[in-house]
Amino acid sequence: MARRASPARLVIALAVATMLAIFLVYTAIAGGTPQLRPSELKGRTGEVSLVGKVVGKVSGDARRSGLRFRLRDVEGGASIAVVYRGSVPDLFKSGRDVVLKGRLHTGTFVGTPNTLSTKCPSKYVAEKKS
Amino acid sequence: MPELGRAALIVCLGLAVYAVGGGAYAAWTGRRRLAESAQNAIIASFAAALVASGVLLGGLLRHDFSLTYVWQHTSRELPDPYVVSAFWGGQEGSLLLWLLILTGFSSIAILLARRSAPSLLAWTAPVLGGVILFFSFLLVAVASPFATQAAQSDGLGLNPSLQNPYMLAHPPMLYLGFVGLTIPFAFAMGALLARRSDELWVVVTRRWTLVAWTFLGFGQLLGAHWAYVEVGWGGYFAWDPVENAALMPWLAATAFLHSVMIQEKRGMLKIWNVLLVIGAFALALFGTFLTRSGILSSIHSFTESSIGPWFLGFIGLVLAASIALVVSRLPLLRAKTRLESPVSREATFLYNNLLLVAFCLTILWGVAYPILTEAVRGEPVTVGPPYYNFFLKAFGLPLLVLMGIGPLIAWRRASLRGLGRTFAWPLGVALATGVALLVLGAGSSLPGLVGYTFCAFVLASIALEFARGTRARRALSGGSWAAALAQLVGRNRRRYGGYVVHAAIVLLAIGVIGSSAYDTTRERRLGKGETMAVDDYRLTYLGATSERAANAREIRAVVDVQRGGEHLGAMRPGKNQYFAEQQVSNEAAIRSDRLNGEDLFLIAEQIGPNAVFLKVLVKPLVNLVWVAGFVFLAGSLIALWPDAREQRRLALRYGRHEALARA
Repeated sequence: MARRASPARLVIALAVATMLAIFLVYTAIAGGTPQLRPSELKGRTGEVSLVGKVVGKVSGDARRSGLRFRLRDVEGGASIAVVYRGSVPDLFKSGRDVVLKGRLHTGTFVGTPNTLSTKCPSKYVAEKKS
Repeated sequence: MPELGRAALIVCLGLAVYAVGGGAYAAWTGRRRLAESAQNAIIASFAAALVASGVLLGGLLRHDFSLTYVWQHTSRELPDPYVVSAFWGGQEGSLLLWLLILTGFSSIAILLARRSAPSLLAWTAPVLGGVILFFSFLLVAVASPFATQAAQSDGLGLNPSLQNPYMLAHPPMLYLGFVGLTIPFAFAMGALLARRSDELWVVVTRRWTLVAWTFLGFGQLLGAHWAYVEVGWGGYFAWDPVENAALMPWLAATAFLHSVMIQEKRGMLKIWNVLLVIGAFALALFGTFLTRSGILSSIHSFTESSIGPWFLGFIGLVLAASIALVVSRLPLLRAKTRLESPVSREATFLYNNLLLVAFCLTILWGVAYPILTEAVRGEPVTVGPPYYNFFLKAFGLPLLVLMGIGPLIAWRRASLRGLGRTFAWPLGVALATGVALLVLGAGSSLPGLVGYTFCAFVLASIALEFARGTRARRALSGGSWAAALAQLVGRNRRRYGGYVVHAAIVLLAIGVIGSSAYDTTRERRLGKGETMAVDDYRLTYLGATSERAANAREIRAVVDVQRGGEHLGAMRPGKNQYFAEQQVSNEAAIRSDRLNGEDLFLIAEQIGPNAVFLKVLVKPLVNLVWVAGFVFLAGSLIALWPDAREQRRLALRYGRHEALARA
């Protein structure tokens, strides 16, 4: 083996260190969004993404005063009122599992605009054909 | 019939057991005829997989609803092409497709290697057999496509979002890519098991890696185009876990394709290459796991099933066994030469590899983050597109620069003075482009401006490389410029095919930057007769139409489009209300400008006779993304095309070794 250490090692060490640094800086400033069910929402004030099943009637207008509906845990249980503005996916309707970002505001979950998306049913079963 | 399918799968399983057991014993004891019979067992397993696939396809086409799979995934009204695509529309069928492609690829690889590298096959066959064993075991014992039930009069139908021409080609292409990565993995393991330290496995599997990589890359672009045209939210890639599932092995394979060149030329990076090929294969398995296990609910994962733990177990086993093997063979993998300078061709390859692998790992981290945080903290935390976009810029922009530097820099050690001479032209072109773009107003996005300057640098350096080669060729043999260029490419297909692929990546980058850094989005309610201006487009709402088609009511907003006083006609974004599925689908309207590659993308909501809510996206240069797909394909084909001169050179290099092995 040569006396001098290979520059490859230095290069790799520097590169790895740089990447780690970039990574740390990123996670320090941004970070992710916690994903919660309606029953876990109590007392949370920060922005979270909420997963649940749409239950009951959907009312209002997503482009004006806001779309109003209730979200329940997918497994059943507690539900919470949601108000949301912005684009609504095609598959959105009562009975679907959806996810949206937002924060709790005096008992109502106020959605962040344009974050609503539907989760596909885990197993697709077609509606009865006529 | 289902009995025949089940029996074929059991035969396939038996043959795989024999290929693993018999093959390993033969390789251990050096019995050549037994080893050949183990290889033949793999070829026979392809026949068995063909029979099983034939039975399933027959069941699908005959609408045999006594087969649970056929009942779950098709219906009588489903058009025939989609009946065929239902083969890979569900979990059991797509596993069978994996097995079919796997046994097919393995057979071809064995038949080809019998001529070019017979000595490698002894230990490669049992490795291939092991993978076949896993998939046929899943199909026999865990997720059988031939489960039966009391016959039903009609099936449940195929998910409407899969009833699309793109879904005929996109999934099989990804599977061809995923499965194709098995071959280089098996040969690498075969070479290690046989205690070989030469580069033969790299040479034998180069085309396999390229083919798998090409399918993966092109398949992903097809998927992106489907999302853009059909899903209609105005984008083409959303960092969905399932999109990431295909991107990760592609990135690992890209790194591998580059670093094997260093091993071939300089005998370096041997451990790294073996680790990359293991990683690419494990990520391909992981990709199948993500799309098929339902561990992450996303629009692609339709099934939640029992195969998940098996898959994770197999991935763990593959990683543990192959890494143990690498560790036990470390002395064989010692490099013959060392990196001489951090400024050299080898070093740029090394940087490119580090960046690609780092990008791949950050994506893996993002995909696994919700699972990890749920396991540790009890609640899943997700990372969204901003996370991925950040790393795309952090790692993608340096990669772009390296793509311009790599092909021009000298091997071993480059002098700074030489560098200045080499890069004077590309640097000049890049600076000029940057300044010109700044004057034109591209400074609105700094990453965009930097990206475009880098793109100009890479294109200039590729053009320079072609020009220099052609000039040298012409000086040597005379003739026209075109003939010299054809000769140049024909004699160095790998190299110039690679440059064409680089050009495709630059086109892709130009398209992605244009459509994401310089796009415009406007949305507003537009009354009948009202006009809104977006960039230099003027859009006027003329009214709504509603027509009854065979299976849906088609509601359209008619929007008149003008640009710079020129009348461009009407566009009709809208919604389809499907009667049978009771589902509404968004039908975006897209107008592509052939001259500047710009798209005007309209989404209409709340369509009424008096008003419409219109979302308007102007996406400059987005069409270059699709053009890049075809340039990519052309470059790959050039690099893949059989090359008699290369074959002769390799025969000279490895011929003696093989002759000894055969004796």
